[in-house]
Amino acid sequence: MSTKILTVDDSRTIRMIIQKAFRLHDCTLCQAGNGEEGLIVAGREKPDLIILDITMPVMDGMTMLTKLKENADLKDIPVIMLTAESGRDNVLKISQIGVQDYLVKPFKEDQLVEKVSRIISLQLKAPAASAA
Amino acid sequence: MPQAVNYQELARRYGLEPVPESVLRLTQIVSRQDADLEEVARLISKDAALTKRLLRAANPTAKTAADYDIETVDEALMRSGLTCALMLAMGTPLAQALVKTFHTMLGLKLESVDRFGDFVLEGQHLLGTISFFGRAAGLVYLRLSPASAAEVAARILGLEPKQIIDSNEINDAVGELLNIVTGNFKSNLCDAGLDCRLDPPRVTQTSDFSTPKLPGGSLERMIFRAGQVVLFVDVRVNPWNE
Repeated sequence: MSTKILTVDDSRTIRMIIQKAFRLHDCTLCQAGNGEEGLIVAGREKPDLIILDITMPVMDGMTMLTKLKENADLKDIPVIMLTAESGRDNVLKISQIGVQDYLVKPFKEDQLVEKVSRIISLQLKAPAASAA
Repeated sequence: MPQAVNYQELARRYGLEPVPESVLRLTQIVSRQDADLEEVARLISKDAALTKRLLRAANPTAKTAADYDIETVDEALMRSGLTCALMLAMGTPLAQALVKTFHTMLGLKLESVDRFGDFVLEGQHLLGTISFFGRAAGLVYLRLSPASAAEVAARILGLEPKQIIDSNEINDAVGELLNIVTGNFKSNLCDAGLDCRLDPPRVTQTSDFSTPKLPGGSLERMIFRAGQVVLFVDVRVNPWNE
């Protein structure tokens, strides 16, 4: 079964970049545009890892992360924050709620892939599948 | 019970970059209630890039440095006061965030343009606006021609400009770049003691070039270029009240 990654970001551009970053890997990417949607998709899909933005409409990433950690079924899913907010207060607060890693935008695709592969096992697609 | 965490340790673990020292010092001095112009002048005079920007902002109508009426840092600060120094303190992290974002996400090496007359933006263009408020308040306007905006959107999505036919894709890409620049800008200001909040960036099509300046406020214009992509940036800082 392929690895499942959930991206929660209100920017379609960032969701497309993340999709591109993992195009060579055997993983399924699911998406959500805000924290509220993110919790629903996380509950339904039980992803192996979540890539989470902070500033989003409806429900921000900090609130989603807090709710995720309060949910017995979802609290152990590793989270990487992917955000332009690198201020001291945010980093401290988020680290205390509990994240596996933190990547500051702007970022390179290979930085993200490297951080993800340190947490979950990523396999490359079979050559025929990646050429398709 | 979560363990007590140390920011430096987290910054190392996550690979976060600190605020540049010169920017940190200027912002910290300016943000103090008892900041005095002499101290600010000493700091700016030691930094050639800050001096150049201050004199350019103090002589807005001059075409070249030879046309400057105001020629020294002291004179520029006497005329424009702390608001102008605040604008310099804010312009630096903004410019750094722009350059870094375009380099990392688009592979474009933006260079600051000195001769403004060589670059003119006319007619319909894309305008991204960021407003900030708190200990510092003002607006940032970022303008791009439609061709520059299409190239920027194509690069960030890994496409050819002709593959981008949807204006929503262009607006979303430019909006996200602005979001990233803004987030970095805000983080640097807050870490340096100038706590402020930002409204989400707005991206619109317009042919309006006005950047209103308030009495006692400061306005700095910057132009950046990488190949055919040209960015016109105006930073307006409202009068400093403290």
